[in-house]
Amino acid sequence: MSRRRFPWLSSLVVATGAVLTVVPFLDMVMTSFKGPGESGTLPYRFLPQAFDLSNYRAAVRQLDLPVLFRNSVVATALITGSVLLTSSLAGYALAKLRFPGRDFVFRLVLSTMMFPPFLFFIPHFLILVHWPLAGGNDLSGRGGAGLTVSIAALAVPFLVNGFGIFLTRQFMVAIPDEVLEAARIDGAGEFAVWWRIVVPQTKPVLVTLGLLTFVDAWNEYIWALLVSTANPDVMTLPVGIQLLQDHVDPARTMPIVMAGLVLSILPVLLLFLLLQKYYIRGVMLSGLK
Amino acid sequence: MTPSRRTDGLSAGRPAQGGGRLSRRHFALALPSALLVSGCAAPHRGTGRPGDPVVLTLLSHYASGELKEALRGPVDEWNATHDRVKVRTKAVEFTDLLTTFMVRQAAGQGADILHPYCLWNGQLVRAGVLRPAPAGHAEEIRRGYSAAAVGAASVGGRVYGYPTEVQTYALYYNKRLLRAAGVDGPPRTWRELEETAYRTTRRDRYGNTLVQGFGLSTYDDSTTVGQTLALLNAAGGTFVSADGRSTAIDSPAGRAVFDLEHRLVARGASSPGVNVYRAFPSGQVAMVISAGWWTGSLKTLMGGDYRDVGVAPLPLPEAGGARATLCTGFMLGVNTASAHPREAWEFLRWLNAERTGGEKGAVATRMSALQVSVGSLTGRADDMRTLLGAGAGNGGAGDPNLRPFLDALAYAVPEPNMPGAQQAKSLLRKNIEALWTGRRSVEEALRVTRRQVDQEVARAW
Amino acid sequence: MVNALVPETAERTPRARAVRPAVDGRIRHRRRQTVVAYLFLAPVLLFFAVFLILPLGFALLLSTSHWSGFALGDIEPAGLDNFTGLFADGSTFLTPILTNTLLFALGTVALALTGSVLVATCIDKLRFQGLWRTLYFLPIVTTVVAVGNVWKYMYEPGGLVNGVLNAVGIGSVAFLADPDTALPSVVVVQAWASLGSAVLVLTAGLKSIPESYYEAAALDGAGAATVFRRITLPLLRPSLLFVCVTQFLTGLQSFALISVMTRGGPGDATNVAALEMYRLAFGYGDWGTASAAAFVLFVVVLAVTLAQLWWFRRKGEEA
Repeated sequence: MSRRRFPWLSSLVVATGAVLTVVPFLDMVMTSFKGPGESGTLPYRFLPQAFDLSNYRAAVRQLDLPVLFRNSVVATALITGSVLLTSSLAGYALAKLRFPGRDFVFRLVLSTMMFPPFLFFIPHFLILVHWPLAGGNDLSGRGGAGLTVSIAALAVPFLVNGFGIFLTRQFMVAIPDEVLEAARIDGAGEFAVWWRIVVPQTKPVLVTLGLLTFVDAWNEYIWALLVSTANPDVMTLPVGIQLLQDHVDPARTMPIVMAGLVLSILPVLLLFLLLQKYYIRGVMLSGLK
Repeated sequence: MTPSRRTDGLSAGRPAQGGGRLSRRHFALALPSALLVSGCAAPHRGTGRPGDPVVLTLLSHYASGELKEALRGPVDEWNATHDRVKVRTKAVEFTDLLTTFMVRQAAGQGADILHPYCLWNGQLVRAGVLRPAPAGHAEEIRRGYSAAAVGAASVGGRVYGYPTEVQTYALYYNKRLLRAAGVDGPPRTWRELEETAYRTTRRDRYGNTLVQGFGLSTYDDSTTVGQTLALLNAAGGTFVSADGRSTAIDSPAGRAVFDLEHRLVARGASSPGVNVYRAFPSGQVAMVISAGWWTGSLKTLMGGDYRDVGVAPLPLPEAGGARATLCTGFMLGVNTASAHPREAWEFLRWLNAERTGGEKGAVATRMSALQVSVGSLTGRADDMRTLLGAGAGNGGAGDPNLRPFLDALAYAVPEPNMPGAQQAKSLLRKNIEALWTGRRSVEEALRVTRRQVDQEVARAW
Repeated sequence: MVNALVPETAERTPRARAVRPAVDGRIRHRRRQTVVAYLFLAPVLLFFAVFLILPLGFALLLSTSHWSGFALGDIEPAGLDNFTGLFADGSTFLTPILTNTLLFALGTVALALTGSVLVATCIDKLRFQGLWRTLYFLPIVTTVVAVGNVWKYMYEPGGLVNGVLNAVGIGSVAFLADPDTALPSVVVVQAWASLGSAVLVLTAGLKSIPESYYEAAALDGAGAATVFRRITLPLLRPSLLFVCVTQFLTGLQSFALISVMTRGGPGDATNVAALEMYRLAFGYGDWGTASAAAFVLFVVVLAVTLAQLWWFRRKGEEA
């Protein structure tokens, strides 16, 4: 019907948009192969003269890749693990347990989504610095470097996610009470009910949430930049690559940076392509809340 | 080398066996805790065990290239000859240096020794980052360095560190381009400067500029503001009042400078959009005001063409006036949070004030030798004369173009370094760029600069 | 974890004691469930206490204090000085920084919304929708460091964009170096990067519009434009609202892209409030003014969000 009119026009619009979306990525890949004197010179050429791997070698040499990878992986794993655990625990309590103050807590969870992250930048940093008994601090949180000495500093502000709690709760509400009640009569404690019944039943939403969290955590830049400025030992991949530009041979800066970028986005890209069904559902869910 | 240190050295060298055993046990202990905090060492405190050397960290922007190498020399020398106190250098790029100082200080991970740009001293002192130099060191600094260098390293009359790299501003000119335009020598007055600029400017028939008579850098805060403040100082003006709480640029001198730059741009002798740091070496700019460090880069960039480059003192508004120009620089100071201030100052004295015979037999401080080796200067005029006079072929030594910068040490005006100085500098930069691009008139630019900078520096802290 | 529980249980005890023994079992069950529930919630509540309530209080304290140092003991009360300072004569916070923030958000929303409506309505008519969606999604799963640097490079004189311009006979543009073009240039990138999720949400919205509406419109002989204006747009309103609100939120507070691409320059041409806050705090150690700026931006974000909700609701009632 009217939905099917102008198919060629629609194809044209969508294809143009798709090309515009993909071309920067292709340009990144192409640039990562360009030799000295090939990038940033006029006239612009899309293809490199030869697919030379020297920029990748330079990126690997300049970046302390094992350390950057380790930091990114540890921080991302901490965040993803913690968000999944805390969301499903709290989501279960809010969905399936009856207790005084439930509505208040639920509203609190919803309201946390209202506060923009920039509001917490300064206080979070200072709280980490003055964390008692960490990094040489005394009990009053003074005298040392606090949690900023630890990789955990990268993850701490992101360990709990209001949207994650909300999302899991909405899914857990749909689990029939009878199933849980039957398990309780069989003598299962609440923890066993949560672990044996609720978690398995909500696996799809947990995969979705995990994927959303993983991608965000892996790509996080501003907080990681701040923490790595305080302590370069915990630098993550995005920060390392951003700082790379400052100290490589200027004639080859961009190709080397692009090579580093290709290496750093590959893991997420592959994960996304493998599990995109779950990821896309997560974005749709966030749109329907 | 005192005998006691030598004994220390012997005893420190001996227990290698024991150390091995110890470290294995420590490894076993450290492994779980390392996993816990994921391999992040405690910040710069050293091991804290009695008998272990004190480790001082030094944070500078000597992060790459020849500067990094140049600093490594003396630091390695210190570490090889001192067993009780070791120095470890850390570096970030200059653009990240101030933020790194502040963030690391906030995080309790500030280095023992800092190498700030003197512009930031007011901010760093206000924030309690810098420790005043002990009396003996302060005295040594006042005596050993030119007034401008001491001024830049001081806040409120108190000295906070040993001045290291000092930059004065002068006029670079291309002898070939001036000759081609029929100009005999570099301009001495602003009138001559303008005339020379117009005469050397060349365009093609489409109106594209081939040669700028007078280049204006828009490259970064330092170069953009530096050239304007140098002209302002030459005209007898200053950027901020003596107490650092208000602007002084909205003055006849300030107006004269803004007028001059505005005319040069409006009549096409300056094209601020062009990167002068690329255009001058390739012979597309006849004159430009810049600091002494540039001689080194120009030499590498231009090769044989460097013989065309001349340097003259900054032109004055009128002939016969008192010379003045801008002086900027860095200093090495000690962190208030350092656990070992005495050792830190000791190291700084050794690096900056102790004279040694260099390779060519010229007696100078290690810092002076370091700076000259990278084509730069320190505020020690006597050292500079010795080193430059020695005519050693390495680095910048022996280059007559460094003379005007050296002479300027005597009359240069330090860049104001009150709290908020960095912000004030950025505000001035935005306004002069607005003036050059024609978005603001001279009057407007002066007025807005005054309003914005006053608001910034007068803030109650 | 235990600590978080103590007040709850202590509070419950007297009431529990007063209840008759007959219902004791059920009460005990209820009480046990309360304990268990708060055990399950303990990590989350603890986190919110330490990383939400405490920081909010701390930020509020800082925004009304002078603190230029690093020792907590040096914090001095300053009343509203930090706020008045932000809006004082000569301050650059209102113009250009806050105006840039609004322009950046507005530009992003306008571009992303138009683009996504266009693409979503077109995708809806095509085959291989999954493939298209995947392509549009690539920027979203890519770190801002990659997005920013790739575009920064493409905008350079020897980059792809100028290469294309030159190929069709247009002179090069100094996109990020010219204060006139810098802000629009970063707006384009932000919109480009957020197009995918907007397309996705709108596609879902389009799918929920019953086919029968279109069929009825076709019977009435309505043209494509009328159908779009009278049926698609009104029924798409919830999705549009969502895209609008979230994009505005992101646009008003995001500065990672700008920090990667221009660091706020040239001059203040692309400086936005959140970036200024970061710089004030971590570059200049002016924690008070930085916190005040954060709260001002928070108020702006709230106001803009509420205004959109109100506007969409009124439109909904009109229809």
